[in-house]
Amino acid sequence: MDWEKLVQIIVNGTTLGSVYALVALGFSMVYGILKLLNFAHGDVLMVGAFIGWGVLGRLGGSLDPTVPVVLLIALMMVASMIGGGFLGVAIERFAYRPLRNAPRIAPLISALGVSFFLQNTVLLLWGADFRSYDTFDLVDPFTGLHVGVLNVWIIRLVVIASAFTMMLGLYALVKKTKLGKAMQATAFDREAAAMMGIDVDKVIVKTFFIGSALAGAAGVLVGLVFGQINHFMGFNYGLKGFTAAVVGGIGSIPGAMFGGLFIGLAEAFAAGYISNTFKDVIVFSILIAVMILRPSGLFGKAAVSKV
Amino acid sequence: MTDETQDLPEGPDAAARPRVGVDEWVERVAGGSEAGWQGALRARLERVPLWSKPIAFVLPLGLFPFFTGSDYWMQVGIDTLLFMLLALGLNVAVGWAGLLDLGYIAFYGFGAYGFAFLASGHFGLHWDGQWVIPIVVAATVLLGFLVGLPSRRLVGDYLAIVTLFFLQLFLTILLNADRLSIPFKGQVDFTRGPNGISDVDQLTLFGWRLDSLDDYFYIALAAFALVFVGLAFVNDSRTGRAWRSLREDSLAAELMSMPVNRLKLLAFAFGAGVAGLAGTIFSASQGSVFPANFDVTALITLYAMVILGGFGSLSGVAVGAIVINLALELLRTPEKASWIFFGLLLLTLPFVIRPLGRWLAVAVGTVVFGFVVRALSEQFWERGVEGTTPGLARIDRIVDGWVLVPADPDGLAKVGYLTLVAGVLGLTLLKGWWRTAAFVPVLYLAACVWENVMVGQPAVARYILIGAMLVALMASRPQGLFGTARVEIV
Amino acid sequence: MKRATTVLGLALLVAASIAATAIARPAQGTGLTAAEAINCRGASLGFAGPLTGPAAFLGQEQISWSRFAVLQYNKQFKTSYKIVQGDTQLSASLARTVGRQFVSNPNVLGVIGPSTSQAVISSAGLFKNAKLAAVSGSATRTDLTTKGKFPTFFRVVPNDFVQSPSIVNFAVTKLKAKKVVVIDSQDDYSTALSKGVAYRFRLKKVQVTTESVAATDTDFSSLVTNIGNDVQVVVFATQTAAAAQTLSQQLREQGKRAVVLGTDGAYSPGVFKPRNGYVSSFAPDIRLVRGGAAIVKAYNAFSKNKTFGTFGPPSYMATWVLMTAITTACRDGAATRAEVTANVKRTNLPSILGGQVRFTAKGDVAGAKFYVFKITNGKYTLAG
Repeated sequence: MDWEKLVQIIVNGTTLGSVYALVALGFSMVYGILKLLNFAHGDVLMVGAFIGWGVLGRLGGSLDPTVPVVLLIALMMVASMIGGGFLGVAIERFAYRPLRNAPRIAPLISALGVSFFLQNTVLLLWGADFRSYDTFDLVDPFTGLHVGVLNVWIIRLVVIASAFTMMLGLYALVKKTKLGKAMQATAFDREAAAMMGIDVDKVIVKTFFIGSALAGAAGVLVGLVFGQINHFMGFNYGLKGFTAAVVGGIGSIPGAMFGGLFIGLAEAFAAGYISNTFKDVIVFSILIAVMILRPSGLFGKAAVSKV
Repeated sequence: MTDETQDLPEGPDAAARPRVGVDEWVERVAGGSEAGWQGALRARLERVPLWSKPIAFVLPLGLFPFFTGSDYWMQVGIDTLLFMLLALGLNVAVGWAGLLDLGYIAFYGFGAYGFAFLASGHFGLHWDGQWVIPIVVAATVLLGFLVGLPSRRLVGDYLAIVTLFFLQLFLTILLNADRLSIPFKGQVDFTRGPNGISDVDQLTLFGWRLDSLDDYFYIALAAFALVFVGLAFVNDSRTGRAWRSLREDSLAAELMSMPVNRLKLLAFAFGAGVAGLAGTIFSASQGSVFPANFDVTALITLYAMVILGGFGSLSGVAVGAIVINLALELLRTPEKASWIFFGLLLLTLPFVIRPLGRWLAVAVGTVVFGFVVRALSEQFWERGVEGTTPGLARIDRIVDGWVLVPADPDGLAKVGYLTLVAGVLGLTLLKGWWRTAAFVPVLYLAACVWENVMVGQPAVARYILIGAMLVALMASRPQGLFGTARVEIV
Repeated sequence: MKRATTVLGLALLVAASIAATAIARPAQGTGLTAAEAINCRGASLGFAGPLTGPAAFLGQEQISWSRFAVLQYNKQFKTSYKIVQGDTQLSASLARTVGRQFVSNPNVLGVIGPSTSQAVISSAGLFKNAKLAAVSGSATRTDLTTKGKFPTFFRVVPNDFVQSPSIVNFAVTKLKAKKVVVIDSQDDYSTALSKGVAYRFRLKKVQVTTESVAATDTDFSSLVTNIGNDVQVVVFATQTAAAAQTLSQQLREQGKRAVVLGTDGAYSPGVFKPRNGYVSSFAPDIRLVRGGAAIVKAYNAFSKNKTFGTFGPPSYMATWVLMTAITTACRDGAATRAEVTANVKRTNLPSILGGQVRFTAKGDVAGAKFYVFKITNGKYTLAG
């Protein structure tokens, strides 16, 4: 039994999974409240990654940063979270709010339009080249956890730790604060919540802000650990995050976290033990199997529709 | 005693109010609920007899090859016809049965590859078209059934997800099935991977070999006409009515003993069959087939066509396909793109700024504003007028003296673009005269951004316009041009 | 009666709109036959490449260099050539439409590209019928020229048949590779190349494992985990230098000894800059060639310091070849496409990448040779 390989694969999978979980959370939250599949979510991640890259460039770049590394990374995260959050709010306000009472397909199409728009805007203004975070210049690859032969780069740990912190923070927010209760109520029954005096619009705006901020943060994390960003990256992460949200049970926050990790690990195991070529096929087949056998996802509640 | 001057809370704005609409039956029977000449036109259009609609399409399209001798426009025509065919098929699943199928392009690809398998050098089979087409269409219908099977247990959005993933799965298989290791046989090259199948035969029907663009154009037209008429009959039949009931309220339909599951499968199958047919014609006319032909961009473009035309309406989606495909084609070249851009502005703005008088005021105001800004720039900011627009159309030459063309746009380009986006979004928030006044600088800024930034990269700019169009269309008229406004019963 | 008029009105409306489209385009008439000559004043070059979509970096770099070439040439020879853009977006059917567009545009006397082998397959047949020359700077699939199907297709870069042996030879002789991993990125360029490389490695009794990554993959961690410490070289066939960079970083991160040998698509000093690596290229670095530095400086001024890799300079050469051919054909006042194609066949120009550009009878560039560069801390030096 090759333990080192196993642990390495688990680490790979957890890194990927953390990112997917962050994206899945945003999807899940928005779906829970609005019953809307936000296809533009992956592109918010992409914009967050570019914002982080912009901040990095302003503060001297990876080779010669003008602030200490930890502060630099924190600033990048904060900037991308704020930027991503506001982008999400803007998308909600202008693309989804007019369609609150329209047939379900309308906001979906609008989301596709927003996605198209964001991708090509970035392409138009910043070009098609891949941009690099050059993280290896920032943090040496040998800084990290060393266990025997195993090397775990500290940036991976940063990714996993940040993602988990944010997820725990979100969970606490939803379960313990008034806003969280309002979000749960709105997700359960929007009209009843409104009648109970909850300002539904504000809750929705806050949900979008939080979800998109998470996506923005995920974008920076992706840039840090995998290095390269370009205008098209949102599609893939959006798709996988999507998968994760659905597998975990869309609308459920622990489900999204679990789903993200599950998909990340599945991908890593498929690539490591079966074949890198067909890892996507395997992941999608898992998804389709889960959908057929348990349509509401692993943690989701079976949808009961009141007639 | 309560204070009678107490402020009442503000009423909900238009978007938050429950949408009042009619269901389709009422709309069709009572008809004509829109005011003005648009309503009258629409009412008129809806009353035309069934047989006139295919003729209205086939007649001018049939004459099209005589208007143009150019191979390029014939190719565009074939592409448009194939998209129209696809739009008709997608309309069945999405428009009539209300099933959101995001994997539709996979059926198209399946049909194309199916034809390539049976009539090319890949497996050495060179069957005639009259055998290959029915076989491939039947196989695609079967695939549609299979894909539709999960739909029985899935509601709306879940179905969308599963079909989207089916598309990804299909693409991945196409791309990688050239090195399948099958035990006992070793490496098998099933789909030739990213290299595609490049020696697909020409279509041969009953001995007649199609080898010119005109031939393929007419075959595609014939297929379109046949499918159009066939689907129109289906729409009027019991199945069509059953689909409509499924779309409007699936629970009620089930209670009324509609075989809901069977209907869903049927919708998928019909749509898939039409896509398969389009795929075979595509494959034959191109002479080659690659996985990259069937990606998500094609899917979104197809959806844009169906949405613009108004899903649920056969002629609507066909018109949508024509409009979008032509617009995309014309927007691809810097020589023609500006015509489309300014034409679009001139066409759509009168519907946003009513009445006509106000629109004229805005137009004149924008022109004057532009010259004023330019004069000011010549005085105080010379850089603003030093450059020239990269646009190549005649209209660009004309406009060059009107917009600001800074010498090295770069950073300004980003600022200008983002300001424009903010401006357009801000416009949607304003009302009344403020809004009309704000239109002037925003329109001028739009012209400047177009001339400086977007016209030099028309391939990118057109997707930005498509994306923006989809959002704007959904916000203002979700039923598209020819659809009927629906209220969803939740 | 009312219905009939409605129907007639509807039909006329649609007919009118179609007619309007037919009229709105500039008066073109039929596409040119090969023998018709046109006035040289409006001569243009068509550019066919992916300008949007996931491969946009390829097409954008190429068109930037092509535009630069046109600018330089026009300045030097007082001509007024223009480029007509055709976005093929990696879609072969779009490439075909673009191909037809160029064929029916009488001003287009030559095509730069198509950039990808798929696009060549779907559109070069049209060019053949129109005797329109197409010179590509990046389509390397061997059978595009060897099969003789596209007599008007030329390329200024050597094909895969030249690259695979040089990569394998270098890895075996200079790097003493006994066990290698060959990775492709699931597109027409890399799968052909990786097959050839793997085959040649096996002939030399080197142990080969083949892997593949999707074009949109950005994380290769698990693939890297599978690469043992006894693997010396990882040959990565990709057109995305960024992917090569990520791969080499993740190899280093996981402490693997293997070094990345990128194919020519990975050549990009601004992007692929590992601590230790190799990359193959069909030309010596333009920055190192005599006179190359001046061109790079001029390009940087033109493009505002846009990074570029391998794809730009060959596109420049392809454009220059076409413009020279058109100018020669235009000496007598009018030029036909057949004339231009014949002139392209006879090309003998100094290349900005050193040496001369000449074509073999099949359309490949003559004297093709591949160079391997060693990269140390991002610095490229010629190694073999």
